[in-house]
Amino acid sequence: MTPILHAEHLIKQVRSGERRLTILSDLAISVFPGETVAILGQSGAGKSTLLGLLAGLDLPTGGELAMFGQRLADLDEDGRARLRAGRVGFVFQNFQLLPTLTALENVLLPLELSPRTDSEQRAREWLARVGLGERLDHLPKQLSGGEQQRVALARAFVTGAELVFADEPTGNLDPATGERIIDALFSLNREAGTTLVLVTHDHALARRCDRCLRLDHGRLEEMALDEVGA
Amino acid sequence: MSLSILRLARFSARGLVRDLRAADVRALFVALALAVAASTMIGFFLDRLDRGLTRQASQLLGGDLVLEQGHPFDAELRATLEEAGLVLSDQVDMVSMVSLADAFQPASLKVVDDRYPLYGGVHVDQGEGVEVVAHGPSPGEVWLAPRLALLLEAEIGDRVRLGESELTVGGVVEREPDQSAGFGSFNPRLMMHRDDMEATELVQDGSRVAFELLGAGPPAILDDLAPLLERLRRDGVEVRDVRRDRPGLGSALERAERYLSLAGLAAVLLAGVAVAMSTRRYVDRHLDTAALLRCFGATQGELSRLFGLQLLWLALAASVLGALLGLASQAALLALLTAFLPLELPPPGMLPLWLGVFTALSVLVGFAGPTLLRLKRVSALKVLRRELDPLPASAWLVVAVASGVFGGLLWLYSGDPGLALGLLLGGLVMLMVLWGLGSLLLGGVLRLAARLPRNGREAGVAQALRLGGAQLARRRTASLGQLLAFAVTFFAMAMIALVRGDLLSTWEAQLPAETPNYFAINIQPHEREAFEASLSGAADARSALYPMVRGRITAINDMAPREAVPAEARGDNALRRELNLTWRETLPEGNRLVAGTWFDQQKESAPGDWYAEVASESATSPEAERVPISVEDGLAERLGLGLGDTLTFTIGAAEIIGEVSSLRDLDWDSFRPNFFVIFPPGVLERFGHSYITAFHLDDAEREVQRGLVRDFPGVTLLNVDAILAQVRDLLSRVTRAVEVVLVFVLLAGVSVLYAALTASLPVRAHESGLLRVFGAGNRLLSRVQGAEFAILGLASGLMGALLAELAAAALYLAWLDLAPRLHLWLWLVLPLGGALLIGAIGHLLSRNLRRQAPATSLGLLGET
Repeated sequence: MTPILHAEHLIKQVRSGERRLTILSDLAISVFPGETVAILGQSGAGKSTLLGLLAGLDLPTGGELAMFGQRLADLDEDGRARLRAGRVGFVFQNFQLLPTLTALENVLLPLELSPRTDSEQRAREWLARVGLGERLDHLPKQLSGGEQQRVALARAFVTGAELVFADEPTGNLDPATGERIIDALFSLNREAGTTLVLVTHDHALARRCDRCLRLDHGRLEEMALDEVGA
Repeated sequence: MSLSILRLARFSARGLVRDLRAADVRALFVALALAVAASTMIGFFLDRLDRGLTRQASQLLGGDLVLEQGHPFDAELRATLEEAGLVLSDQVDMVSMVSLADAFQPASLKVVDDRYPLYGGVHVDQGEGVEVVAHGPSPGEVWLAPRLALLLEAEIGDRVRLGESELTVGGVVEREPDQSAGFGSFNPRLMMHRDDMEATELVQDGSRVAFELLGAGPPAILDDLAPLLERLRRDGVEVRDVRRDRPGLGSALERAERYLSLAGLAAVLLAGVAVAMSTRRYVDRHLDTAALLRCFGATQGELSRLFGLQLLWLALAASVLGALLGLASQAALLALLTAFLPLELPPPGMLPLWLGVFTALSVLVGFAGPTLLRLKRVSALKVLRRELDPLPASAWLVVAVASGVFGGLLWLYSGDPGLALGLLLGGLVMLMVLWGLGSLLLGGVLRLAARLPRNGREAGVAQALRLGGAQLARRRTASLGQLLAFAVTFFAMAMIALVRGDLLSTWEAQLPAETPNYFAINIQPHEREAFEASLSGAADARSALYPMVRGRITAINDMAPREAVPAEARGDNALRRELNLTWRETLPEGNRLVAGTWFDQQKESAPGDWYAEVASESATSPEAERVPISVEDGLAERLGLGLGDTLTFTIGAAEIIGEVSSLRDLDWDSFRPNFFVIFPPGVLERFGHSYITAFHLDDAEREVQRGLVRDFPGVTLLNVDAILAQVRDLLSRVTRAVEVVLVFVLLAGVSVLYAALTASLPVRAHESGLLRVFGAGNRLLSRVQGAEFAILGLASGLMGALLAELAAAALYLAWLDLAPRLHLWLWLVLPLGGALLIGAIGHLLSRNLRRQAPATSLGLLGET
């Protein structure tokens, strides 16, 4: 089976004053369709940098990286954007909802970029699925943190994305709310048959994935599931 | 996968509707609407004027061809023109006294024949309401302008005295089809039939009379006549051809037109500054959206199109509102100036509307473009790393693009690339100077505010002023921009007030009490002694009687005048019209020689009798006579003349060559007869001439005036006070029209304030949130915000007063020749008025901030 996401010898260096800092070195990963993969790591280990690279939001300093079988290095920034459009969904730690848009309008946002005739109907359905069918016209500031993240979940799945990236999706939530969001995320993922790449430092969350990888000193190591519980 | 234009259009429109809640979008909308309103107002007005002038050119001119000279046209010329196919009409223009019972008044006479008017109709009330008729008054009757009827208290059927005859008032003329200009236009019109002319005995040798021959016919005839017309021009006839000399407006109106355009563009410029300021906030607010859309797969092009379209909708909506405002304001402008417009204007056209929309789009591209590019450059990675904002547009790039676009607009509106470039460069230099000046002033005011006492009874106000001052200081650059915008607006308004009120009255007040207030013209040689005798008892400060001969400059240094003078002097009145020439043995009082020598020093042996000499010279050479002349310094400078240059004058049928032997400086404010060119005695006496003099009569000496009018019916008395009253009326209306435009400039200044406030909203919210957390009450916050804007207004007022004082000083020195004086009221009214006005507006605009709970304000940072 062809991996939906594939990286080899991935390197990411950044300049800090005179010095070069290596954040990722010789990193490799393959993610196959339908898989759920957790990437664990300490704060500052480079998890978000890796997620940015895997999603094509940034370019590596070296190495090979492909999404949907397409080498990202062959594409310019617009090319990478087009590759994502309608096929990749995102869930962010700080929700990233636009404050002036209602819940419905926020979910409609990615649909504006992929032509559909039933956009609004679809957005309403997905908001109903996350339990916000009655809160369509609410602005983000009128919703709780958990509700805002559920809007973000609906937004991630509404386009029928094949691949969803989640960056610390429970990072800004209390444990009980976080738990409910994870339930929702995995249940939506199962229903849609989506591939999920999750970056977190929450082991409980990681345990629910098919595979767990630890980011340590710039490299990824496969972890056994029982190891995750530790 | 890419967005179709239709989808993009819908998406952007939806985004805009959602965005209307945001203060920066509203500020953008207001600024763009004001730019469109200011430009369409001027555009509609000038366009109507322009089309009116073009369409009615023949009518305004009085015919397709108009010939004018100081003596009647001969039959041979008439026959030639008629044979060519022109329909001819004769007209005579002059100024004369008209009286009814005890009332008398100088009037501008228009003597017409049976063919008048060749084009259009006369709006006249002959006792049965105003009607349009295609003829002038019948023999035996006169038609008066409403003002003349009022001044004489004349009614239809009354008999008025004109020279040696009496004529019946047959109608009141509301509007003439053809415009009149020149000296007579200050005096109200009297129209009469040419058959009555001779009986009045008004036309005498040397009288200031213009004989006009008007012709109507197809344009091809004028082509055939071209060589003849050229010859007539050379002979000193003033030739106006409808295709070459489209009639213009009076010079006061033309100047007002230019001021209006400039003031309108100043409003556009300020609106542009407001657009630039609100765009910064708009872009900051949309960086997250742009990053998110990048993340969801939008390309850079799609982002550009999306936000570009969003602002396009905004500009179009603002254009509609702005155009409506502009349409309403041009009607107001027209109402103020209608009395001076010589024609009926066509309804507003569509062109200014497109020009307005174009202006809005240009302002948007020029003032917002470079900043908007940031949105397209945003990295998708910003969704993960919030600090990844694209670099702000370089300030130099923003200023360069804005200057380029504004320069283009200047060019478009003025039609003169040189002027546009000059204004732009001058404006940029001026901006730098003002920036420095404003910076000093603001620094001074802020230092004062910081030194206010920290305790005591006035501590409340002092605290508010200190904190408000500190807020201004933190946003120094933006504050300085607003300060300049308001200072320039206040300055313009103060100048209007000064010109209308102060300058004229100051100038009048400095004239000595005995300054002549009457001119008498058309005094015939045989009346000279009697006239002097009538005056000698009553009038003080009487000037000498100067003989006056009319002559035209037909060559300069043996070349056609237009070719011999600098390019900018080609249209000079001195070359287009007949000049009043005089002769004199001694240098007139109030004149000062600046170069060369006066006649008596050149011909010590036999002063005076040049004529004998030139007569004997011309006996040997058939060429024109050559005599020394003295020329006014200013005219010489304009025409590029120096000592030794020659001017050829055509007087009647004779030619006289004058060699410049001296240059004179003279005082035009002296209210004495002044002459551009003076001949030595013995040259001009043989030509028909009349005399002119000036004298002073008190109001108590009205009997003397009446006596003069009664005894010398052919002499015209011009009252300087009446002329000044006219000037004041004209000035007042024109300045009021400029004020209408200045309201837009002020509104555009307020839109800059609003935009600046919007741009600083998150920071302000954060500041006031913190102040509240630390225990500041609503009252203090309200005072601090009020104080901040009041200080801004105060500083703007001070700077406006300073600029107005400097400009007034320059005007006093250059124009009035007076020592500059301080206008204390400027220093009181402008700073206090500015503090109140800007304080109140700022206070009003920032009221939302005070309504927010501290938590909301603190959480607001970075959001709407």
